[in-house]
Amino acid sequence: MPRITTSLLRKARTIDPFLPALLGPCRDLYAAQNELRWLHEHVEKVAKARRAKGDTLAEEALLRQLVVERASGKPLQYILGTEYFGDLEIRCRPGVLIPRSDTAASVTHIVGLLRKAHNLPPELRVLDLCTGTGCIPLLFQHELYSTRNDIDLRVLGVDVSHKALRLASYNLQKVRNTRQYVDKGRVRFLKADILLDPFADQTRGPLPLKTALNLKGQPPFWDILVSNPPYVSPSACWKTTTRSVRGFEPKLALVPPPSKPSQPDMVQGDEFYPRLLSIAQDVEAKIVLLEVADLEQALRVARCARDLDIFDGIEIWRDQPDSSPDDITDEDGFPVLGQGNARSVICWRGTGALWLGKVTAATSKGDDVQ
Amino acid sequence: MLATPWICRNCLLRLRNPLVRQQIRLQSTASTSEAIPLALLTRARTVASEHKELTKKLANGFDTRAAKKSGEYSPIVNALQDWDKANESVAELTTLIHESTTDPELRSLAADDLSETRTQLANASQSLITSLVPVHPFAHLPCLLEIRPGAGGLEAAIFAGDLFRMYQAFCNRNGLRTNLLKYENINGTTEAGIPLSEAILEVENVNSYGIFRCEAGVHRVQRVPATENKGRTHTSAVSVRVLPSLQENSAAEENFDDPESDYYIDVKEVKVEVMRASGAGGQHVNKTESAVRLTHLPTNTVVSMQDSRSQHKNKEKAWALLRSRIAQSRREKREEEVANMRRSVIGVAKMGRGDKVRTYNWGQQRVTDHRSGTTVHDLDDVMEGGPTLEQVMESVRNWLMERDVETLIAEEGEKK
Repeated sequence: MPRITTSLLRKARTIDPFLPALLGPCRDLYAAQNELRWLHEHVEKVAKARRAKGDTLAEEALLRQLVVERASGKPLQYILGTEYFGDLEIRCRPGVLIPRSDTAASVTHIVGLLRKAHNLPPELRVLDLCTGTGCIPLLFQHELYSTRNDIDLRVLGVDVSHKALRLASYNLQKVRNTRQYVDKGRVRFLKADILLDPFADQTRGPLPLKTALNLKGQPPFWDILVSNPPYVSPSACWKTTTRSVRGFEPKLALVPPPSKPSQPDMVQGDEFYPRLLSIAQDVEAKIVLLEVADLEQALRVARCARDLDIFDGIEIWRDQPDSSPDDITDEDGFPVLGQGNARSVICWRGTGALWLGKVTAATSKGDDVQ
Repeated sequence: MLATPWICRNCLLRLRNPLVRQQIRLQSTASTSEAIPLALLTRARTVASEHKELTKKLANGFDTRAAKKSGEYSPIVNALQDWDKANESVAELTTLIHESTTDPELRSLAADDLSETRTQLANASQSLITSLVPVHPFAHLPCLLEIRPGAGGLEAAIFAGDLFRMYQAFCNRNGLRTNLLKYENINGTTEAGIPLSEAILEVENVNSYGIFRCEAGVHRVQRVPATENKGRTHTSAVSVRVLPSLQENSAAEENFDDPESDYYIDVKEVKVEVMRASGAGGQHVNKTESAVRLTHLPTNTVVSMQDSRSQHKNKEKAWALLRSRIAQSRREKREEEVANMRRSVIGVAKMGRGDKVRTYNWGQQRVTDHRSGTTVHDLDDVMEGGPTLEQVMESVRNWLMERDVETLIAEEGEKK
């Protein structure tokens, strides 16, 4: 990483004495100014809340402390406690992955396609694996109910971490309190380990997904499967992640656990996808949306899905899948939509093609798949 | 010998030339409530004669277009008739009173009548004016006031802050609801009390654009700045832009999807850029950049927003701002074309940017508006947004109205 020039540091210092410290994690004067402004606003909000309780607060000292924390690399979202995910403000806590705006773009785009569909089932079931803060189920519900009222939506978020599930329930409460659709749709969260084989010997700890679904009286079949699983390989974790991600966000949510000792790096990064695809087959999902790291991984996942031979169409979406219709390129027989890095792989079969409005695409794609 | 005792020559001179000379600007444009601008009256007379011709034509045979036009003109003609009647009776009564041959009883009666007729005349002229003056197509909308310092460095930034407070106080005093869209001081923060680098204030009431339209332009300040240590007077400038606003409630009224509307923007023509971290993205980074930049490709208008942490909110705000800017530039362009066509006819100073429109002079405690030629001396009251400011704005609005009417007449003349 290039060093920050002295002139930039000096320039930052003339603007505000706190700015040079923030340049470390931000690397850019405008970003640092924005972060400082948000920290300011946060401190003022906290001070106001304290005053309302009759307390006092040393604002300057608190701001200094927050700036020092941020300079050490702690993510701003953990310091301020929230992050915006699409339209929603989602609460974040250390130990749970911070929602990413790229994920929000994919989810918003898929719901945008579903909203136009005429033949959705009366009860639409959505399964979100590795839900974390619960951001995907909440955004899914929010986006769908902003225009459609005729559907009963049922969303289940699954995670292995107890901390994440507690935070997800809290977020659900908070969104319910601020929005109107209180009794519309059902969002639930469930603890399960999707990597466990349901037929293996039971050990203590979280249950396999299938067992947990049975135990909690959840339906065995789901229409849509969404997942943002850990997908960073151990070497990429050291090379490409930023310091604040590496040092402060949970490894559990970033790097898949090694299944065998001394397995290749790339295989460990892809650990979750075969499991997710076989779960999709089990629950008879019509649409599957999986987030990936880059184009290489997207192609590996797409090939894996093609080899299963159950899907009618497979597409790769970039960071901004909705930008314009003429941004379609072709990689190894898979259409790649949008602009930016390759971000997710979407597969559909049966009526899923109708829901996504891909009927014509599916028929033309059918030849390629065979 | 003189009857009075000796007086020193200086005192005699002083008596002739008073020390404090009252500055009087003899401007014919300062209109009272009863007086009708000459331009308007001329137009009303033309309309009336045209109406007469139309009626004659209609008596001979029916013509849809003529009937429609006559229907449009009839309120103006009625208002003109009322005004003529009132004017005549006022003149008659005045001559009656001033004539020496009138007997006292009749004179007192006439005096009683006169005040009543005067109010009638005022009403008639008011209705005549409203029936004649074309209403600005955006006048009913809420508006955005954008204040930015111009030439003059730090002093301009300080005065920009003063102007911002002036408009805020004016809105508070007149019960106009405001909403601060953007406030940035020269350090790039939102803290008050530091010289201003940009402020955007939304006035949410209906008709606000009509009220504040006259404020657009370059405001000049002449004073000894706080930053000056040798006591010299500086002249600095602050630019104020007034745009019709389309946010929230008013947005529903305007149709964005209608390609005829000024606010219509083809989504394909706008490049949306979202700040993204370079490199891998996804789980590899937890970026906080939420800036959104919209570029309207045909006009190369760029709007960027980074105030909120939510990219979604930034995008909404940026779209609203882009819509108003485009609409304003479209309207300005249209007006420019029209104005170019008949600049020779009217000779009106251009009102958009460029020329200064008002001067605030601290040394003389005066505020002069260069368009209407009004000067007031209660500077403090103006800066507190008080009734004196209202008076200045009123005069400019009248001036604008007269210009509008002149334009209208020129337009009619060109058509013939």
